[in-house]
Amino acid sequence: MTIVLQQLFNALALGGVYALVALGLTLVYGVMRVPNFAHGGLYMLGAYLTYASLDRLGVGYVPALIIAALGVALLAALLERLIFYPLRDAPHVHPMIAAIGVLFFLEALISHPSVFGPDFKQIAEPLPGILNLGGVTLTWQRLLIIVASLLVMWGLNFFLKRTLTGATIEAMSQNREGARMVGINTNRVGMLTFAISGALAAVAAALVAPINAVTPAMGEVMNLKVFAIIILGGMGSVPGAIVGAFLLAFTEVFGGFYISLDFADLIGFTMLVIVLAIRPQGLFQRGT
Amino acid sequence: MLEVRDLSVKYGHFMALRGVNLTVQPGEIVVLLGANGAGKSTLFRTLSGLQRSSGGSATWNGTALTTGRPEFNVAHGVAQCPEGRLLFPDLSVEKNLRLGAFVHRRDASGTARELERIYELFPALVEKRGAPAGSLSGGQQQMVAIARALMARPQLLLLDEPSLGLAPLVVEQVFQAVQRVNNDGVSVLLAEQNAFAALGIAHRGYVLEGGQITLDGPQQALMTDDRVRSAYLGV
Ligand SMILES: Nc1ncnc2c1ncn2[C@@H]1O[C@H](COP(=O)(O)OP(=O)(O)OP(=O)(O)O)[C@@H](O)[C@H]1O
Ligand SMILES: [Mg+2]
Repeated sequence: MTIVLQQLFNALALGGVYALVALGLTLVYGVMRVPNFAHGGLYMLGAYLTYASLDRLGVGYVPALIIAALGVALLAALLERLIFYPLRDAPHVHPMIAAIGVLFFLEALISHPSVFGPDFKQIAEPLPGILNLGGVTLTWQRLLIIVASLLVMWGLNFFLKRTLTGATIEAMSQNREGARMVGINTNRVGMLTFAISGALAAVAAALVAPINAVTPAMGEVMNLKVFAIIILGGMGSVPGAIVGAFLLAFTEVFGGFYISLDFADLIGFTMLVIVLAIRPQGLFQRGT
Repeated sequence: MLEVRDLSVKYGHFMALRGVNLTVQPGEIVVLLGANGAGKSTLFRTLSGLQRSSGGSATWNGTALTTGRPEFNVAHGVAQCPEGRLLFPDLSVEKNLRLGAFVHRRDASGTARELERIYELFPALVEKRGAPAGSLSGGQQQMVAIARALMARPQLLLLDEPSLGLAPLVVEQVFQAVQRVNNDGVSVLLAEQNAFAALGIAHRGYVLEGGQITLDGPQQALMTDDRVRSAYLGV
């Protein structure tokens, strides 16, 4: 029983991270109708900005997280202006390829010896130590991930559902032309959505960085997972991204535990294939 | 007053509008008759700033509408209830309406007052205010689309084929609502293929064919015109 609880706890933390990254990707897809393949690159940059703020600027963990979130948000908005906006009327393949180019560019830039270099970086846990609850060991960092990711998701939900600016994002993803018709500036909404997606990815990266090593390739790995998640949940669906994230995390953690840790990723993608065979449109089909 | 002068619109090399002239006086309901592909929606989209023009002008009380910036046109009193409604299907009826007032986002009390007025005008929407707009019947969705345009507090309302796909009884309700809106002082430009119902509430009308105005006149003259009768009234 304690072992199951232990895995449950680990899966919740992993799911929280996946959810934050996937939410940004699904929001951007909803608004722009183009998958942002550079999203993993934003996540990776978030981790390096956190590392740099801690290591080079010498600030604390929370300020580092905020710097990373703001920095990546700004960069994501810039990305919308420089790549997605100019290519808005081009065939969808063009912005897709451009985004992949950005992903590789960011990776190459970070790996360059004069920037951070190809080796992995380590971030010390801001809250070291563990909490023992009847045999279940909870690391403070994982607890922090769970609490912080739930808080951020709650905040995002509040923003989308309870504020007019948030409503413009949902409106634009449900009917772009209708949004323009009522006088919503879709350029501004596009930039804002990109900024939010960047901030979410950076927060996720800052939360998980003390547990995982920070490497230039971490963005590519995360890209695969979050694309799997939003395809699983239904492209553009917010609840779909959250459910998909936790589903993938639970499958990976429990599959890895009961079958083999080496196959954790494989099990996750097997689950994806099975779900899509049954529901090709994803779990949460969007209204048109 | 809406003044459209020699307005032309191109899609690539295809001329969808060729030198259209048209006016709507304050307080008027003007109907624009035209078959499929005549260019009605093209004209409306241009007047809303959604479509660039290639020649001529369109002004509302002297302000140019050929801006390419829909938010400018809405803020200057021109709102459209588009063909196909273009609602936000998963958002509640009330949220759709509130987004209609997006250009008045700094005036919360004005929007609240307008919302009350709208619910008086369309009482059927009151019990549906929390329902997703996409779950409503076609007629109710058309009401939401008109109401959403009204939430912008327009002086000129552009209605693009509001009767499309609706049962005759519902069409009557929609047109009654349009007439009440007009009685409150809103000018209306109404595109229709359903000429009989539309001419019933209009003061004047135009006939658009192949991107050109081929006929115009007061309601009575159009009602009795042979060409209109055979092409649009089916008699
Ligand atoms: N985006 C576009 N690109 C190219 N051609 C277009 C476009 N939109 C409309 N057209 C063409 O312009 C002409 C006018 O179309 P428009 O939609 O304005 O007609 P309409 O009078 O509104 O017709 P309907 O009654 O069917 O709605 C048509 O020949 C149409 O094929
Ligand atoms: Mg049309």
